[in-house]
Amino acid sequence: MSMRKWKKKLMMITSTLFILTGCSLPGLGGSVTGEGISITGGTSTEMDMMGYLIEGMVEHYIGVDANVITNLSSGMNHQAFLTGDANVSGVRYTGTSLTGELGKEAVTDPEKAEQIVIDSFKEEYNQNWYPSYGFSNTYAFMVRAETAEEYGLEKVSQLEEFKDEFSVGVDTSWMTREGDGYDAFVETYGFEFNDIFPMSLGLLYTALSGEEIDVGLGYSTDGQIPAEDLVLLEDDLNLFPPYDASPLATAEIVEEYPELEDIFYKLEGKIDEEQMQELNYLSENYLLEPRTVAFNWLEENNYFEDTEPYLEPVEGKELNE
Amino acid sequence: MTDITQLPLWEQLIYYYQMNGAYVFDQFLRHFLMAIYGVLFAAIFAIPFGFYLARNAKIADWILAIANVIQTVPSLAMLSILMLAVGLGPNLVVITVFIYSVLPILRNTYTGVQNVDENILDVGKGMGMTKWQLIYKVELPLSLSVIMGGVRNAFIMGVGVATLGTFVGASGLGDILQLGVNASDGASVILAGVIPISIMAIVGDLFLTWVEKRLDPTSK
Repeated sequence: MSMRKWKKKLMMITSTLFILTGCSLPGLGGSVTGEGISITGGTSTEMDMMGYLIEGMVEHYIGVDANVITNLSSGMNHQAFLTGDANVSGVRYTGTSLTGELGKEAVTDPEKAEQIVIDSFKEEYNQNWYPSYGFSNTYAFMVRAETAEEYGLEKVSQLEEFKDEFSVGVDTSWMTREGDGYDAFVETYGFEFNDIFPMSLGLLYTALSGEEIDVGLGYSTDGQIPAEDLVLLEDDLNLFPPYDASPLATAEIVEEYPELEDIFYKLEGKIDEEQMQELNYLSENYLLEPRTVAFNWLEENNYFEDTEPYLEPVEGKELNE
Repeated sequence: MTDITQLPLWEQLIYYYQMNGAYVFDQFLRHFLMAIYGVLFAAIFAIPFGFYLARNAKIADWILAIANVIQTVPSLAMLSILMLAVGLGPNLVVITVFIYSVLPILRNTYTGVQNVDENILDVGKGMGMTKWQLIYKVELPLSLSVIMGGVRNAFIMGVGVATLGTFVGASGLGDILQLGVNASDGASVILAGVIPISIMAIVGDLFLTWVEKRLDPTSK
């Protein structure tokens, strides 16, 4: 008797849940529909900005409304594709996807890494990995421009000479990271720093510009790099796996909107690290919405209308008809 | 372009609201709706269920224990788990708020109904009231202020949970907060997101406290 009652209750709860998920409540609709082009951003300003960049291009060339889902962690980003809530990713990084979604070993050769993600995403998830935008967001050692000039620094291996003089600031999590953390660094480059300070990334840039430390380990597209006049040192022994940035889309959405592919090819190689640093700087320093920065940048570049492959903008189409 | 980072913090904040007033209001409304829908559905479910439990004290302990365990799951983890079943978007947040709101409302309803004086119920029965009349005319009015206390707790928590909506594609004031967190010196933007959230929680709390007091039969 009571068992049956319980079953009834349980049925009621589950059915309410399903009804709830099916419809949109007044005032809340229109965020995630799963229909049309649905683009994911990510946890950083950069990732959200790339999402908006694709949105701007889609609206310019295809003329449909695309929605952008921001602030998704990389695991959820992938899940959203599997549940069908999203079908285009503004940006994925080879290194992150290799060890994250695909669960494979890190690969230090950029070309090999790219080939693996292209093949694996196609095979396992029927998703297309497109050519890189032209920048990669990886760990990078950096020094002040005047330090680089004074000591003629260009490569990480040159730091060995100054390992006792320089004080080094690094990201806290990097010290204990496996694969490309400090232990791996010592093994690859064969020397240890005398003065090493783990700190948060925000503090690191303040410390570098305030001459508290001489060398910092940050990310290669951080907006503070041009702002504080810092120089990146080349990772000449390939310690860090490549994190080349590429857009990703499901095969189905590309079939539905073939223009998407042309958009990705238009953007191929258009954003190098310095360009990305600048865009990040605009948003993070002037507190502009990533969307505003992305759209302004597209306007400035005339939506790459003159770039191959040729694609008719929406306004042009209407005029021709 | 105005470099607003050169302004003092409070002027930055005012500048941000001037530029993005409509956007902030939009997100405020969204945030509020996500919280209130979740609590509303939870109240619709948990208040009758609480009455049921009050009459079946044997299973009540079990149910409340289960609800307590659910409460200990971190809300971000709860969102991620539910996402697999529900997908992204505001509905996911509404359901999560619902789940977290059930316990406080359920517990308060249960306690409120249990604490209704047996003698008063007997008087009701003596007057020839039916079962439903006893609920509507005696138990509900006498326990309503305690139940409202649960709803108040649930709402404040709901406002907090809805902030996490930004991580599951539901927007809300968490979007503004997250933009500030990502920026290199985003204190003003963080404040721009946090202030409306706090106002929502505080005003909601004051309002519901007022309702709670009004409904307390002993204060009349």
